[in-house]
Amino acid sequence: MRPSSRLLLLISATLLIVSGASYGSGFSIFEQGAKATAMGGAFAATADDPSAIFYNVAGIAQQRKMAVMFGGTGINFSNQFTGDPNDPLTSGATGEYRAHTFIPPNAYFIMPVGSNLTFGLGVMTPFGLRTDWREPWVGRFVSRDANVKVVSVEPAVAWQTSDGRLALGFGAEYRRSHISLNRNNAAFNPFTGRIIDTANAYLTSDWDTNWGWNVGILYKMNPQWRVGASYRTDMTIDYEGSAHFTQIPTGIAPFDAVIKSQLPPDQGITTSVNFPATLIAGVATSAFGHNWDIEADVTHTTWSRFKSLDVNFNTTTALSFTRPQNWEDTYSYRLGANKKVTDDWDVRFGVVYDENPQPTQGVGPLLPDSDREGAAFGVGYRHGAWSIDATEFVLHFKTRSTNGISSDNFNGTYKTNANLISFNIGYRF
Amino acid sequence: MTRIRSFVRIAAVALLALAISIPMFAARGSANFTKFVAIGDSYGAGYEAGSLNERHQVYSWPAIIAKQAGLTICPATAAATDNCFAVPLISYPGLPGGELVYNGISVVQVPGSGAPLMSGFGRPFNNLSVPGYTVGAVLTIKGTEPIAGLGLPILRGLGTEVDQAIAQQPTFIAIWIGGNDFLGAVSQGDPTKLTSKDAFTAAYNSMLDKLVAGAPNAGMVVGTLPQTFAGPPLTSRLPSVIFDSSFRPVQFPAPVNGTVPFFYVPAGTTTPAAVPAGSIVLLSALSRIQQGFGIPPTLKTTPPFSLLPHTGEPLTDAEIITPAEQAAFAQGISDYNAAIVASASAHSVPVADIKGLFDRFATGVSYGGVTLTNTFVSGGLFSNDGVHLTDIGYALFANEYIKAINAAYGSEVPVASIAQFFENNGANFGTGASVILTPAAASAMTSIFQETVPAEPAKKLRAAHH
Repeated sequence: MRPSSRLLLLISATLLIVSGASYGSGFSIFEQGAKATAMGGAFAATADDPSAIFYNVAGIAQQRKMAVMFGGTGINFSNQFTGDPNDPLTSGATGEYRAHTFIPPNAYFIMPVGSNLTFGLGVMTPFGLRTDWREPWVGRFVSRDANVKVVSVEPAVAWQTSDGRLALGFGAEYRRSHISLNRNNAAFNPFTGRIIDTANAYLTSDWDTNWGWNVGILYKMNPQWRVGASYRTDMTIDYEGSAHFTQIPTGIAPFDAVIKSQLPPDQGITTSVNFPATLIAGVATSAFGHNWDIEADVTHTTWSRFKSLDVNFNTTTALSFTRPQNWEDTYSYRLGANKKVTDDWDVRFGVVYDENPQPTQGVGPLLPDSDREGAAFGVGYRHGAWSIDATEFVLHFKTRSTNGISSDNFNGTYKTNANLISFNIGYRF
Repeated sequence: MTRIRSFVRIAAVALLALAISIPMFAARGSANFTKFVAIGDSYGAGYEAGSLNERHQVYSWPAIIAKQAGLTICPATAAATDNCFAVPLISYPGLPGGELVYNGISVVQVPGSGAPLMSGFGRPFNNLSVPGYTVGAVLTIKGTEPIAGLGLPILRGLGTEVDQAIAQQPTFIAIWIGGNDFLGAVSQGDPTKLTSKDAFTAAYNSMLDKLVAGAPNAGMVVGTLPQTFAGPPLTSRLPSVIFDSSFRPVQFPAPVNGTVPFFYVPAGTTTPAAVPAGSIVLLSALSRIQQGFGIPPTLKTTPPFSLLPHTGEPLTDAEIITPAEQAAFAQGISDYNAAIVASASAHSVPVADIKGLFDRFATGVSYGGVTLTNTFVSGGLFSNDGVHLTDIGYALFANEYIKAINAAYGSEVPVASIAQFFENNGANFGTGASVILTPAAASAMTSIFQETVPAEPAKKLRAAHH
């Protein structure tokens, strides 16, 4: 099999298995390479493996061998919702996500041409979200399961000066995304005096797409210090999809007849999501000696673009809704270290503090975001043309309470912890 | 540096002094529910859908507060020495008659009646609420009088509500009373039947005086009254459509064009007149309108009114609440609320905002995707008599009391969750509530009751009120 067809196979496999979970602030996923993840995501000024296509596209210019790298991040988490004792619905209630392992995949290919140019192709999952609540879930009339899947294909090119001190890169990102929302409807059952699930509403979009671009710069001031920056554009994806309404029979014939008469028909829907732009700036140094490489990065994400989630129903227009989000721009702060222990082995450490963009009112079953802090440890192993990187990343989300002001009138406290294991295999031709 | 530090110190002391000197509302007693008693009326008793019975008594607002405070409700077999919250359980389908249930077509009464299950219980009940009682009644009726009504099985001649509350040496007393001082008048469409402002104020003050004197260390809480009570579902806007015998709406044909110039006989006259604009009718009048009452003689030959047996006969004054009467009720209740707040303040008793709760009920409430409204039968807040609440409504009522208690006493009693009324709510609240009326039972009842009439809250209320 020629490398290119192998790559195509890899890309198609990646596209098939993509599954989202939110591990950067909002619904971004910053874990697109095991080495970068081990360094807390502080990689824009290092960018010395093919995942540079994500972190700082200029970084592929310094990589002068054709290479392929692929892998993924396995994400497991525990979460706990505790109802607010002052909330007339959630008081005394608890909840948690259904157990899932999410594996946002990544795959990269780079090919140097001449001594200054490198072409690259990356497949990654820069965004994603899954909040799938274990039934019976007291918040099922707000959201049972929300799923945002994103996969991007990015052809890239980078150029460096002959002395290798300055590199510039450009990537064109083709993003495909799919959204589904699932919740139940409740009604008062006049036959029993109780509240009962009468229908399920499942909204699902097609895979819709758009193009964006990104640029990067990497500058080596001297043999010990270097800086890097990258910018990935914002993007809006307009989705078309369908709404499916399924009646949940109560077993009381006259009541079910009324519910059936009120059930909207399955119909087309449209929505759109404003994805943010991300600006990353980093500085790295080997000035501490002893084969230590240290990098510190700051990222800025323009989440303020995510003002609301609007879904329009084509037939039953009265069902159309606007859920205000009013997110805010965020910063994250990342610090990473890589120590070359032997010619074959690296060890890595990283820490991250990532702000969340979500105002308190919007914290809810659809997405209970919070500020998070993370610590990573990783190793890299090289053997001939092969490289293997493995990372353990622990992410602690700060306890997030709706403080009694939930816009869904669904108050409570969300506690989340995540455990991420990133793994990449690389081959240099 | 030193100067800055001393400035900081002075500022801190000043802030502390300020914080201490802010007057705090010092509620009497504490939120100690060791011996919890309740004084009230039909709402307090858990009267629902025209009936007082064991299925709903355990969801009265005092019973819900008791459960949220960690008490258990006494089973009917409890001994007097058992440490539990005793309510005067009455077997299903209840007293004074069976409850009103929805059968898919209309609201019908469950046949038969229940009986007191705890008439021999060896101590006063913790929940002393008696349907129909006014502020005056909780001070005077002992449960032996011919007018005692449901006070017979609840008070049992052991003393008035207030006396029996004090006799239990309560640590906490929750009170909601005053609804019947206006409800009887509203349901008869007659503002002259309102308890006078002075009489209400005097009775309320004397009730709190007596409770404070008799239980000086007890925590207490009272509540305001709903000023929206002349609104749905007790009453209805005049219908712009009429219903056929199966309650299916029939649109008015031309020349009526959707509105009917209803007529009635105003009080103190024998000459029928047009119902004033802005009037509302009692819910109980709807069934009569469906038979043609209130539809003027000029429409006697116009279908579908020509098909109705009583077209051309006027409604009564009692069925119509004119805008002037609505204003009189609103003023009367507003005066009561002013009296309640003043009396509570004078006795250092916190006030639950029940007026505010009913204001919200009037526009509908929504919690986590569950929406409840004041719509008759299907809204979820008001029971099938159009006056009293559902179990869910009483839980939200109890929550207002819990909020007031927590705010005044710094306690942390959790509010009651409406998720306990989800039919498939899973682990948090047990496996769901029992079905009160099976489809088979509903269909059997349909055949028993051929008359498709909605609830008559006024009649029910008077029956309870005596």
